[in-house]
Amino acid sequence: MNVLKIKDDSRSTKHDTNNIKTYSERGILLFIAAIQIYPLLWLIMFSLKSNQEIFGKNPLALPKKLLWENYARALFDGNIARYFINSIIVTVVAVIITGILAAMASYAIARMEWKLSQAMLVVFLLGIMVPMHSTLLPLFIFLKKAHLYNTYAALILPYIGFSLPMAIFILVGFFGTLPKELEESACLDGANIYQVFASIMLPLTKPALATISIFTYLACWNELMFATTFVSEQEFKTLTVGIMGMVGMYATRWGELGAGLVIATVPTVLIYISMSKQVQKSFTTGALKG
Amino acid sequence: MKNLWGKILTCVISGAIAISSVGCAGTKDVAQTDAKPGTEVAAEDTKEEVKDEAKPEEKVKLNVWNLWTTDADANAKSFSIVLEQYKKEHPNVEIVVDATENEAYKTKLKTAMAANEGPDVFFSWGAGFAQPFVDAGQILPLDEYLTPEQKANLLPSQTSNLTYNDKLYALPFVSWVGILYCNKEMFEQNNLKVPDTYEELLAAVKGFNAKSIVPISVGAKDGWPLMFFQNVLALRTAGADGSNAALEKKTAFNQPEFIQSAQLLGDLVKEKAFDEASLAFTQDEAKMAFLNGEVPMHYIGSWFAGEVQDEKLSLVKDKVVAKNFPSLDGTKGNKDEFLGGAIDCFMVNNNTPNKEVAVEFAAYVAEHMAKESFMLGAGLPAWKIDTTGLTIDPLVQQMVDLANTATGFVLAWDTKLSGEAAEKHKTLVQEVFAGTKTPQQFVDEMDALK
Amino acid sequence: MNKVFSDKKAIFLFVFPAFLVFFMIIILPIFFSAYYSTLDWNGIGKATFIGIQNYINLFVNNTDGFVMSIKNSFIVALLSVFVQVPLALILALVIAKGIKWEGLFRTVYFIPVIISTTVIGQLWMKIYQPKYGMLNNILDIVGLDFLKHNWLATPETALGSAFFVIIWQYIGYHMLLLYSGIKAIPTTIYEAAEVDGANNFQKATRITIPLILPMLKVCVTFALVGSLKTFDLIYVLTKGGPIHATEVPTTLMFSTIFLQNKYGYGSSMSIFIILECLVFTIFLQKVFKAETITY
Repeated sequence: MNVLKIKDDSRSTKHDTNNIKTYSERGILLFIAAIQIYPLLWLIMFSLKSNQEIFGKNPLALPKKLLWENYARALFDGNIARYFINSIIVTVVAVIITGILAAMASYAIARMEWKLSQAMLVVFLLGIMVPMHSTLLPLFIFLKKAHLYNTYAALILPYIGFSLPMAIFILVGFFGTLPKELEESACLDGANIYQVFASIMLPLTKPALATISIFTYLACWNELMFATTFVSEQEFKTLTVGIMGMVGMYATRWGELGAGLVIATVPTVLIYISMSKQVQKSFTTGALKG
Repeated sequence: MKNLWGKILTCVISGAIAISSVGCAGTKDVAQTDAKPGTEVAAEDTKEEVKDEAKPEEKVKLNVWNLWTTDADANAKSFSIVLEQYKKEHPNVEIVVDATENEAYKTKLKTAMAANEGPDVFFSWGAGFAQPFVDAGQILPLDEYLTPEQKANLLPSQTSNLTYNDKLYALPFVSWVGILYCNKEMFEQNNLKVPDTYEELLAAVKGFNAKSIVPISVGAKDGWPLMFFQNVLALRTAGADGSNAALEKKTAFNQPEFIQSAQLLGDLVKEKAFDEASLAFTQDEAKMAFLNGEVPMHYIGSWFAGEVQDEKLSLVKDKVVAKNFPSLDGTKGNKDEFLGGAIDCFMVNNNTPNKEVAVEFAAYVAEHMAKESFMLGAGLPAWKIDTTGLTIDPLVQQMVDLANTATGFVLAWDTKLSGEAAEKHKTLVQEVFAGTKTPQQFVDEMDALK
Repeated sequence: MNKVFSDKKAIFLFVFPAFLVFFMIIILPIFFSAYYSTLDWNGIGKATFIGIQNYINLFVNNTDGFVMSIKNSFIVALLSVFVQVPLALILALVIAKGIKWEGLFRTVYFIPVIISTTVIGQLWMKIYQPKYGMLNNILDIVGLDFLKHNWLATPETALGSAFFVIIWQYIGYHMLLLYSGIKAIPTTIYEAAEVDGANNFQKATRITIPLILPMLKVCVTFALVGSLKTFDLIYVLTKGGPIHATEVPTTLMFSTIFLQNKYGYGSSMSIFIILECLVFTIFLQKVFKAETITY
């Protein structure tokens, strides 16, 4: 930067235009960032308000009094800790298994040669098209008959099922952008398909795997409908169910609900930020390799 | 190799079709075999407390479902209290409670009942909501299981919505009545009179509008709060008997009285009785406007009293007076008829292996909750209760006094009607509100409902 | 090489586990739904076989406004493909080229996606509130108060208001997908182009976009199919109202099955939605197939 400044003194007009462009670009980006982060701020604000303030004259204002008791009630009433752990178990297992199964299936579809590969892709894509509500009753019957009702599997299996299509689709698209030279040279060196997959392709897919892990995580962590219907016992309920439980039949303490939602969102934000760094690291390594 | 794949795919697809047909047939068959409830139980002697099915010391487990997830609901508190009492008195019965939020509860319950996997005892709504369950034989009729004392304590007027084909299928705990809550203070500050008649209501509406105060708040987005207005206007124009007859399809809706009920609603809209944007407000938002002291009138069920008098939730405690909806002259209805009834209830699954214990539990809870919920302002008791020595909140007392003068009840129409009819009715009322359908169209489409 | 890549056993091993789970969770229920769609059934009691009568009612008799709900979902789909994805693409291009605070922007832009739809819905309901909401207040301040509306309460404006929120929430999602695609392109290609004198715009259009076409295809497909299936936000914001003005096929299906107790009829709606998405996906596959380039 400094070098440029000295050099461009004689061409200050062009430099100024560049600066204006950069600053205005940055300004717009910052403005958009503010809009994007506002919901999170609003959520935190309303978790500290009373019902009157939330629905009153100025729902978008700062809370008059910080009602930390909303958090106390959200945390200590009921089994929030248990629900939290359940959500973690269900989500982590679903993310890992989805990643593995999807990577394997996508590699086969994208890179291996067999006549039905495109058809198989379309079959998996069917999953994206199915509205979750229409599978509620059939899945319920299936889970009951398989004695999986009220277990972790009752949620993990459906979550994997619904996350696979998207994961596979993204990975197939991603494999499509990778050059074939690496696999070709590995084959010439005598590697079998499993070695090619595990040692070469898998590490290259880190950015995509990180991305689909984030998406799968989001789908599972915030999921409500299956979690409510497929689990009845306290020991298996997830966090979203517990939080929605704060909505009463005739009365809801919205501030407390907000506190619960903040508690549920915190891990998501933390995971996303830390995964972001991972994603960033793997992006740069991936780029340099080419 | 193509053959292998082809074979696999064929097997898979035929397997899928096979499983689907078995699965569905299974559901249908089970539903039909359940349709013989009365035969095995009719012979039992109902005076016995515990039957041979479960010896007194034997452990029995009951799955109980309800929608009281948070003690923000007075009924939730009341249920916990009664549950504890029951557990102390019946140490051999293990009660596993599953509470689910209101909207999701309906989906969850319907799904479980559709798969024939419902719980032993559960909260339900009578009349239209439970009709499909009763028709499919999934609900246990209770007459043979209740003791004579229980039958005597149950107030007779409170079981009409829970009786199907002359059999009692559920037990109520509280009933509700539609109440026009009026913020006295706001009326006094603006020199207006709390209305007793429809004309006085219009006068109050004009008066508040002149001061730029929205007279009535209603959560029209949710459908049912707006529907209450048309229902109660029909109550005034056609009377309780007239409304019930039409709802039970004994007479048509295409009569001057019902047309008038829709017309009056339209008139109220023209007089700006409601906020123009009411269709965007949920009931939560609308009731907050009243609890925050911004809007002087709110017409809703008697359960609201608990919130009105709770300082943590309301800014208008002790400023509110409870009234029946204003009277209308020269019509078939009279001023002492109320919207309301006992619709919240407990039902017992016909498939439960422990019928005696389940009914005993349901009856115990229903009867005791009648008192506890009433004390917490959640509703009016559906059983006879002893109120000697108890202090009753003044607002609740007003409602009790009003209810005691009642000469007739009509349920909220969306609970009386079932499924599709209930949903379409609510939409029709919204259309009258928005002015996109005329009163004549309203009654014609009501008649077309299945 | 060919032998390694056509090893049938390996292909089977790779694909079968995913396929098995997928079959149980997705394929089987679709068969169930298809079967239910031929019934007149309330979900609990007896079911009567009525063949394709449900489908006839959906389209020919149009008793429930299903056709209009499809039209609404098409509007969302068009908006998402031609507004949301391009915007996401521009953002991804700008951020990926290596500006200051790249990591921050990438993280922050994704935040609306993380937040549960209940919160987003509640927030926007408050923004759209006619009296106290931010939108009308801002219009007042800048002197455009004739533009004020009862945003979610009037059928005319409810559609646009709800759709705006849907598009807004998921821009970050598509941006992230495209961003990861862009980042996978080796910088050597750009360096070579710069030597040839290419400017930013040329780099973007001649190099980046063609190379991320597979990713673009993914984004467009998700955007399209997601719009046809959109449910959560509409349900929270308007429940399909006011008076069915913002109904989309899924909200109609939900109320038909779970509120109106018409399981068979609702199932026919879901089968239609699935078929509709299938048709579009195959169509998109063909459109993009012609364009895939590798290097």
